[in-house]
Amino acid sequence: MSLNLESVSLKLDNRQILKDVSLEINEGEIVSVIGPNGAGKSTLLNVLTGDINPDSGEISYDNKQLKQISIQERAFTRSVMSQMQTLVFNFSVKDVIEMGWLQRGNSDFSNNFSMAFKNVTKECNVHNLIHRKFNSLSGGEQRRVHFARTLLQLWRPSESNDPRYLLLDEPTANLDLSSEMLLMNILKKRASLNVGILVILHDLNLASHFADKIAIIKDGEIMAFGEPEKIMEDAFLTSIYDVPIKVKHDPLRVHYY
Amino acid sequence: MISRALSLKSSITEFISSKQLVILFLLCIFTFLSIFIAIGTGSYDLSVINFLLGKTSGLQNIVLLEIRVPRVILSAIVGASLGIAGAALQGLFRNPLADPGLIGVSAGAALGATTIIVIGANFFPNLYLGSFLLPVAAISGACFVIFMLYVLTKGFGYQGVTYMLLVGIAVNAIAGVGIGILTYISSDAELRSLTFWTMGSFGGVTWPLLVPAIIIIFISLIFLIPNARKLDLLQLGEPEAYRLGIDVQRVKLSIIFTSASAVGASVALSGMIGFVGLVVPHLVRLIGGVNHKYLLPGSALMGACLMIIADLFSRILLQPAEIPVGLITSAIGSPFFLWLIFRMKRL
Repeated sequence: MSLNLESVSLKLDNRQILKDVSLEINEGEIVSVIGPNGAGKSTLLNVLTGDINPDSGEISYDNKQLKQISIQERAFTRSVMSQMQTLVFNFSVKDVIEMGWLQRGNSDFSNNFSMAFKNVTKECNVHNLIHRKFNSLSGGEQRRVHFARTLLQLWRPSESNDPRYLLLDEPTANLDLSSEMLLMNILKKRASLNVGILVILHDLNLASHFADKIAIIKDGEIMAFGEPEKIMEDAFLTSIYDVPIKVKHDPLRVHYY
Repeated sequence: MISRALSLKSSITEFISSKQLVILFLLCIFTFLSIFIAIGTGSYDLSVINFLLGKTSGLQNIVLLEIRVPRVILSAIVGASLGIAGAALQGLFRNPLADPGLIGVSAGAALGATTIIVIGANFFPNLYLGSFLLPVAAISGACFVIFMLYVLTKGFGYQGVTYMLLVGIAVNAIAGVGIGILTYISSDAELRSLTFWTMGSFGGVTWPLLVPAIIIIFISLIFLIPNARKLDLLQLGEPEAYRLGIDVQRVKLSIIFTSASAVGASVALSGMIGFVGLVVPHLVRLIGGVNHKYLLPGSALMGACLMIIADLFSRILLQPAEIPVGLITSAIGSPFFLWLIFRMKRL
């Protein structure tokens, strides 16, 4: 089971944003997308979620074309965390996390919701915040709340083994060290529960450490896609970022200052 | 059977707290109380209890059934529809200042209604058709304005708050000119006074006019309330709502159409009554929270309750004369509006 992108190209305002991009995210795998600003990372994510339709190419979830999956079904298949804007009205943290609960019938709600909610808030370390107002939280706390909401969306009855995917756009932005580690470890744990994960990151070391595979993207093209040990090379990374970069192996470390 | 009862219970209590259910219950009681009081109070003294006991005279019965009751029911459903439409539009536009009156929706409805009265007198002489035609024309006017606002504010995001109000000023002015011209060129018999359309009134309503409006408003409330959860998710932004499984385009269309129907049918019978759609949802949020599953029914009940009281004041303050009810709602609403702007500036 996998999430596939096959030779996807996209032009916006006469500018080629994505050029013949192919990518595969298997169940239980963390794929990290890295690359300079404006490389097309977020657009790639928006194409994967179905927000934007590409000009050519195919996107499929478990061999089913995205076009043929209904909007509601898509929400059950993949959960997305993106850069967030503020909320206008004064929702409580509890309200915001609850928004991640997909409605699938009343018996599911009454039997499972409070347990799933409790687990997720505990896991993301936001259980102390749930009675606060969302707008009164710090940027990092808001991010953790959205992360909890994204995880709640992935909830499945225990007997279900439908494939699930998690797509995240720079989830660690604004997070302090401990929250960053918490989040990355939760991703690791979800991957071990067979969730396929695509995460856009800026920190090359974070990507090298946590990702099973890394996709390096520049000017809308995938320049390299594979295991971190194999693709993280001095000369190659230097050419991507235009900054002198040194890579040390065992353990893999990227130095750029 | 037990499991069905359980599932019904949870569908009512999903995403709404027990405190909010209590508030809704209390608002229900207040609404019935105010209906009861408003029917009994006025320049002609009546007792609802005596009526129920059959102790009233024929004249009293006529005043009660043909004048007082339709008037109170009209003010209740107009208040409910303006309150809920305000809440839905504020949610849809993610804009705390969206009020059917301020952003020009009521004005569009009034222009639609006046146009059909002036033109319709020549083309549609059938009276019964006429009583449905009037709300339909007002609804079309309201729909047109909301669609136009939506097209114009697309892509403005949160900046749209000011922009939308500016568009509202322009729409209000254009509609005002249209209503003014139509009032001027038509004979008095065709069109009620300009004051009626700009200030609103619940006077002079009769059952044949009221029944179609009640039907339209009830249908739109029934379609609007199930959208509550979707309106919540829209607060995260349209892309996020889509990612959570919401068919955003369809939800927007359905909210636009149902709110326009509620506002249009109200304006057709009572003219433009300002600030109710602005103040009511804010009050409801203030006492219980912002989630729409509570906010929508809460705004309908609070709107009904406040409108009945406002109309009661318009009838009894200067007896036997009447103050336009829109004057009362504006007198309360406009300082509230200023306070809201002041608070937003501080944020």
